[in-house]
Amino acid sequence: MNPQVFVDGIVAGSMIGLGAIGLTLVYSILRFPNFAHGELVTAGAYFALSLAALIGAAVGGTAPIGPFSFGWAIVLAALGAMVATAALALALDAVLFQRLRRRGAAVIIIVMASFGASLALRSGIEFVYTASPAYFTRELQIAMRLPGGLRVTPDQLAALALTAVLVVAVHLFVTRTAAGRAMRAVRENPALAALAGIDVDRTIRLVWVLGAALACAAGITAGLLIQIRPTMGFDLLLPLFAAAILGGVGSLPGAVVGGLVVGLGEALTVAFLGAEWRAGAAFMLLVAILVVRPNGLFGRAGG
Amino acid sequence: MSRPVRLDGLVAGYERDLPIVKGVDFAVAAGEFVGIFGPNGAGKSTLVKAVAGAAATFGGAAFLGDTLLTGLPAHKVLGAGLAFVPQTENIFATLSIAENLQIAAEVLPRAARAARIGAMHAMFPDLARAPHRPAGSLSGGQRQMLAVARALIVSPDAIILDEPSAGLSPRLAHDVFTTLARINAAGTTIILVEQNVRAALAVVSRGIILVDGRVRLDAPAADLAARDDLGALFLGTAAAAA
Repeated sequence: MNPQVFVDGIVAGSMIGLGAIGLTLVYSILRFPNFAHGELVTAGAYFALSLAALIGAAVGGTAPIGPFSFGWAIVLAALGAMVATAALALALDAVLFQRLRRRGAAVIIIVMASFGASLALRSGIEFVYTASPAYFTRELQIAMRLPGGLRVTPDQLAALALTAVLVVAVHLFVTRTAAGRAMRAVRENPALAALAGIDVDRTIRLVWVLGAALACAAGITAGLLIQIRPTMGFDLLLPLFAAAILGGVGSLPGAVVGGLVVGLGEALTVAFLGAEWRAGAAFMLLVAILVVRPNGLFGRAGG
Repeated sequence: MSRPVRLDGLVAGYERDLPIVKGVDFAVAAGEFVGIFGPNGAGKSTLVKAVAGAAATFGGAAFLGDTLLTGLPAHKVLGAGLAFVPQTENIFATLSIAENLQIAAEVLPRAARAARIGAMHAMFPDLARAPHRPAGSLSGGQRQMLAVARALIVSPDAIILDEPSAGLSPRLAHDVFTTLARINAAGTTIILVEQNVRAALAVVSRGIILVDGRVRLDAPAADLAARDDLGALFLGTAAAAA
């Protein structure tokens, strides 16, 4: 077997992990699986693409930085795109999910609404940007040789580093800050959280902002390493859910580990069985792990 | 500081056309300790939840001093100075004991937080013993103390407790009542909902009996304690007049 499979799997897994953190945050606090999360990934990538073009045209910064394929324009655009994706998520909550929550809508109604939002956003993105793939850059990357005959591109290393930094930052935010404490309190008991003085609506907005910013980061990473397509987020949805559930819904480290397991599983499936089995791999892994650990790898019973 | 609580024709419940609290009026003076009693289903919990902003109000109003509480979300009711301790699930079991107190202390100015947490540790030494353990590891009595501490930490002008003795042994229930009497003696207005009427009448100064969402009797605790027809009063078969 070619050990290169592991490098590819870990890189893909870190992207899935980034997206899965947002999904698991929203799931554990708002108590519904958000099918539109994939479109936040897609929208994040396209926001960054448009912003990078604007920045490139206005001030330059398109020349690659060092060994990477991207320039400063994309780095700046990524920050702007995170803000834009967060704004999109907040708007979606304000016009759709918040209204349903206030009416006490059943979970299945909210899930279907998220499915509708997913379709509408995907079609909207395709209408604006067309279905043909887009690229942040067409620079060729020269892979670096690692011991053991492994190859990794500088962009892949940058993606791994970005994932590690974001995951640690989010973990510290949730476990060490007052806002993170409020998020955990709302997750356990929203009614009590309000009685304890927490502004639950503000905490929910914060969850959307965090989840959307991470989805955007996942979209930009996927766009850099693969390509940008209107269906990129939707195609990622099954792996995202698999990662979030594998890790134990609500667990941030679990989402990342789940992402790596799914990424590696997919890469090994492609290597051994063929690319047509890739989508099935996430599903099979999910079923297999849930049979052994019904609450996921890091999940709490009943959590 | 302590402020009075006043209810004017409060109508509350979960569905507008099926109110559980059907027009309740009473006033609790600043620094008073009042018990609300009544049979199961009388609307005691719904009444106090509505005052705290945790259940919908369909008519009437609740005031803390001159502040209108009705219509405020629960976190603003706490900010206005009225704290509420629900009957069940009244602590964050997955958060540490320290975090439970820190969350409540967030309402205070930054400089005042550590001192108030320290004051709660002095009042409830059990909470200072292992502050970083999950609150879910506490015993039933300790959980009630944490819930009370969480409410007291903001130095509320008034505090409402929904059956704090539920599920506790008679000795622990006695400890809870003694603690409440001490808090009231320090000047805080207290409204206590209780099933354990005889034990509560020993600490409150006045009792309000709620039957079917309405006030059936409002009398000094000593008068209520002297009556031997409390059970019949609950069922609505005895005359309310003493």
